[in-house]
Amino acid sequence: MLLYILRRLASAVSVIFVTLVATFGLFYLAPTDPAGVICGPKCTPARYEEIYKSLHLNEPFYQQMLGYFQGLFVGRTFTSGGVTIECSAPCLGYSYALGQPVTKLLGQALPITISIVFGSAIAYLIIGVAAGTFAARRRGTSLDRFMVGGTLVVGSVPYFVVALVAALYVPQFLPFIPKAHWTPLTENPLSWFAGLLLPWLVLGIVNSASYTRYSRGSMIESLGEDYVRTARSKGITERRVVYRHALRSAMTPIATIFGLDVAFALTGALFTETIFGLPGLGLLTLRAFNQYDLPVLMGGALIGVVVLVLINLLVDLLYTVLDPRVRLA
Amino acid sequence: MEPVITGTETLTEPPQVGVTSGPAKPGPSVSRSPTRIALERLRKDKVAMTCLGIFVFFVLVAIFAPLLAKLEGQDPTSYNFDLIDKRTTFPYSGASSDHWFGVEPRLGRDLFARWVYGARPSLLVAGIVTVVTTILGVVLGLIAGFFSGWIDRVLSWVIDFILSLPYLIFAIATPAVIISVIYGGSEGTSPEQVARVRFISLILVLSFFGWAGLARLIRGQVLSLREREFIAAARVLGVPTRRVLFRELLPNLIAPIVVSASLALPGYIVAEAGLTFLGVGLMDPTPSWGVTIASAQNYYDTYPLWLWVPVLGITILVLALSLLGDAVRDAFDPKTRR
Repeated sequence: MLLYILRRLASAVSVIFVTLVATFGLFYLAPTDPAGVICGPKCTPARYEEIYKSLHLNEPFYQQMLGYFQGLFVGRTFTSGGVTIECSAPCLGYSYALGQPVTKLLGQALPITISIVFGSAIAYLIIGVAAGTFAARRRGTSLDRFMVGGTLVVGSVPYFVVALVAALYVPQFLPFIPKAHWTPLTENPLSWFAGLLLPWLVLGIVNSASYTRYSRGSMIESLGEDYVRTARSKGITERRVVYRHALRSAMTPIATIFGLDVAFALTGALFTETIFGLPGLGLLTLRAFNQYDLPVLMGGALIGVVVLVLINLLVDLLYTVLDPRVRLA
Repeated sequence: MEPVITGTETLTEPPQVGVTSGPAKPGPSVSRSPTRIALERLRKDKVAMTCLGIFVFFVLVAIFAPLLAKLEGQDPTSYNFDLIDKRTTFPYSGASSDHWFGVEPRLGRDLFARWVYGARPSLLVAGIVTVVTTILGVVLGLIAGFFSGWIDRVLSWVIDFILSLPYLIFAIATPAVIISVIYGGSEGTSPEQVARVRFISLILVLSFFGWAGLARLIRGQVLSLREREFIAAARVLGVPTRRVLFRELLPNLIAPIVVSASLALPGYIVAEAGLTFLGVGLMDPTPSWGVTIASAQNYYDTYPLWLWVPVLGITILVLALSLLGDAVRDAFDPKTRR
């Protein structure tokens, strides 16, 4: 078990490392002029040269890359115009466009994205598994067929179209659902909840379609297993058979998709945040791209890949807990 | 006993073979390939056939876009400032006999022409990416599954790696890099050049990230097929490896390949439109539904026609293709019975 975890960790670190190098490389090649952006339109050549040096842009690629990693683990200092700025580890540098530490910008954006992703995950997991179990127990009835057909249609419509139409028209036709906005949870929990309700519902309903189908299929399969028959023959109540025996093993494949979906939702947050105007990670990264703001973009990529890799790891480990039949080779 | 047939006979009337050997008996004596069975199932599926019809309709619209625009008497790029109210930037009238879906606010470009031309990049990008990822995924999956050892380890690592990369970051970054590599900077490039680079980079990025899932699926299938007797027999007979891969293994993988491709196509249409909507995919002057939706969203209240025509276009196309993909999957799945 320990060896397995260590091996998975090693591969996770390699993925993170290569992503960072690739992102850095892509932007090293890209036509960026960060010194010009910082210096502004009325820029003297001397001042430009100074900023250029302070950003270490005169160094070759591998040295810039090394500097980035050094900042990440031990911190680094930036000298500009006689002023030295200490940037302690983990240092992700300073935004070219906003002049603020990247860690601070990410720290502001992260709670928003996390709120969206996990709130909607809870929404679609509950809706999907409940509907799937409901349909599986009524397999073959017209209600079951209607639900399966409905999930096919809901799951097939492009997400950004649904989100866009909801964001534009829901406040108009369903005025009791508040317009999407962001208030920190610690500031006003009620306003936090109200502002995210619409994105959660939209994401929840669209994503629950695949969960309904998966959990229905998975549930039908496990209801046909021998141990369910055994449990039934022992006289255990149907409720207990369904929820304690069948549902538990039916959750194993669901857990896999769930993990992958949370990772997917993180990238999908770009759409949610853009459409509903929530200043989270996705919007921050998109803005960084438009302004060639490499440090912010690198920060976004770092968080994205770390979360993705960690979730994949967690799912694999969760697998062994949920289904006792899974043994690690 | 097979009657001796000359070449011309087989070409013109092959069913005669069955007739001469007695009345044709449908049932267990007729053996059909799984692909034939699946196609027959699909043909009986009314939903699938309707969806196929809708898909064919959109393909025809895309192919005959110039003709349709000419029928209306407009084209997607010329400006009609005379139809625009200078103060509000809105057109004086909505849909008319001259402009079937009306014209765009501000520039006055014809919306019907932009709509029919807009079907092109969606289908073209998604079609090319589906073909490329399917070929790459199948070939690399076959190789990884068939040759175990270091080839498999390397390919599996690459597959896992690509599947865990945040592809949006790369989709966002690639066009800028390509522009700088080809044109040496973002200055001095015309909008047409930038639009063309965006088009190519979208195909590159989606292809690069798309093949890994299928390759993993194919590898798994090959791992189990490899141990079957017919493969062992072929290898004992000294059949060359390439023949084993493509003539023995590949026909057994038709089902997962067709299913994966038919589910991938709508996915790539959504990806293209979504990235374009975010402003990192295709861009003006390419007529694209994503571009139109992005610019029309702020006028949803005052000029809903502008927004709804492309929204309905992409929704209906993707819905039809997804339902068709699901039907294909069911048709190829021996476990589903109807």
